[in-house]
Amino acid sequence: MAEQELELTGWKKWFAEVGDQCVFFTRFFRNIFKGGFEWSEFIRQCYEIGYRSMMLVGITSFIMGAVLILQLRPSLESFGQVGMLPKTLSVSLIREIGPVITALICAGKISSSIGAELGSMKVTEQIDAMEVSGANPVQYLVVTRILAVTLMVPLLTVIGDVIGLAGGFLALNIKDSVSYTLYLHKCVDSIDFSDFLPAFVKTIFFGFAIGFVGCYKGFNSNKGTESVGLAANSAVVTASLWIFVIDAIAVQVTSILFYK
Amino acid sequence: MEAVKEKKEATAKPKKEAIIVIKGLKKSFGKKKVLKDINLEVDRGENVVVLGKSGEGKSVTIECIVGLLTPDGGSIKVFGDEVTDMNDNQLKELRMKIGFLFQSGALFDSMTVRENLEFPLTRVLKMKDQREIDERVNEVLEGVGLVDAVDKMPSDLSGGMRKRIGLARTLIIKPEIMLYDEPTTGLDPITSREISELILNMQKKYKTTSIIITHDMECARITSDRVVIMDDGEYIAEGTFESLQKSKNEIAREFFKDIS
Repeated sequence: MAEQELELTGWKKWFAEVGDQCVFFTRFFRNIFKGGFEWSEFIRQCYEIGYRSMMLVGITSFIMGAVLILQLRPSLESFGQVGMLPKTLSVSLIREIGPVITALICAGKISSSIGAELGSMKVTEQIDAMEVSGANPVQYLVVTRILAVTLMVPLLTVIGDVIGLAGGFLALNIKDSVSYTLYLHKCVDSIDFSDFLPAFVKTIFFGFAIGFVGCYKGFNSNKGTESVGLAANSAVVTASLWIFVIDAIAVQVTSILFYK
Repeated sequence: MEAVKEKKEATAKPKKEAIIVIKGLKKSFGKKKVLKDINLEVDRGENVVVLGKSGEGKSVTIECIVGLLTPDGGSIKVFGDEVTDMNDNQLKELRMKIGFLFQSGALFDSMTVRENLEFPLTRVLKMKDQREIDERVNEVLEGVGLVDAVDKMPSDLSGGMRKRIGLARTLIIKPEIMLYDEPTTGLDPITSREISELILNMQKKYKTTSIIITHDMECARITSDRVVIMDDGEYIAEGTFESLQKSKNEIAREFFKDIS
């Protein structure tokens, strides 16, 4: 499609884009099982995506946990339910805020960097060079990145949740004096299997969406320096939108399956 | 009588074998017809230089030969097989016999020179013996005179060095056909001449058949066995460099007017 430069507008353009994404997904899926998996590149991507994002996710989650406690406190205090703070925090953090915030951070950091990296590789003909040498750029660049993000986003979310709870503990101790064991006991006691599992599963979809959108936008960017910026930018916007769409669907599915 | 016949056969010139045959090639981008009717035959061991103004679609022809672009019409036969009818596996096999040097060198930014050179060996030729890989890497680096650059990153190399390493990476799989996309563009006259001489030396050493896309007359003079001139999507003149210098074709004369 990129080579043909069809002048499509409006709905036709939208349908063409959806068609391109389906083709790209098929190429990705076929290449997972093609054999010759690029393990070294996959591990390198896990390090780049997972380890390098940990600090940002950690700091944001810590602040988020602390802010939630500080915001919730006056409301619960008016009902005389300050004791409910750990439970409220852990449920809201693990079910919704942790996964969504972590995914949005990853969309901003990872999706844009993948979009820009692959976009610049396209502009400088590196992807074409891989293809004409007989190597498989989808297997080397796309499969490894998408699978690495799909694996790393759930792990980052779990780490973010734990750090968020720690932030909440610190904020709670500004006004109250709660022991670490009591706080932890109240947090863990209030979390059910049905809180953790759906949240964890949806982060896998978040991760896939972030990796897929980043790779698709970068891989299909036009040949011009401007298109690198556009690829990065539209990767963030599209991935963020997908996160909310997946979240909305996940809530419905979870309600049907766990909270009848 | 028999002896005379044998002697005649021994002294006869080797029979020419066209390994690239292009007939009636057409390619458009949107409304712009880039290639209108391209016809070209390249014999084994021959160096054909394609001259033309920028934006005339010189590179499009060689991108169609390796299947990077799909032509709108016409036929491209390489080693007797129709490129436009090839499936992914056939195209991959063909690409293993063709080296493509991109204008920018298209070195992989995230890899060292050594990793760049090892990439086609491990991914395309599936070589596993590290000693054999090292031997090949050293051989091509000696060929392009850059043994010391083996552990450098592409960003540490000059434009000329990047082209040399790009050439080394394409030659490392010992291709039968070499396609050069403006190999001297953006280089100073001395480095351009060095690259042109290197192309000629490598052609002699590896006995490749080459198509060289350029508008550098010095490069054309050094490297060509035959020159074709492209204008308005068609080849309008053809011959040796010397014969075209005396051509009465107006566009050919324009190209050769500054050549003494």
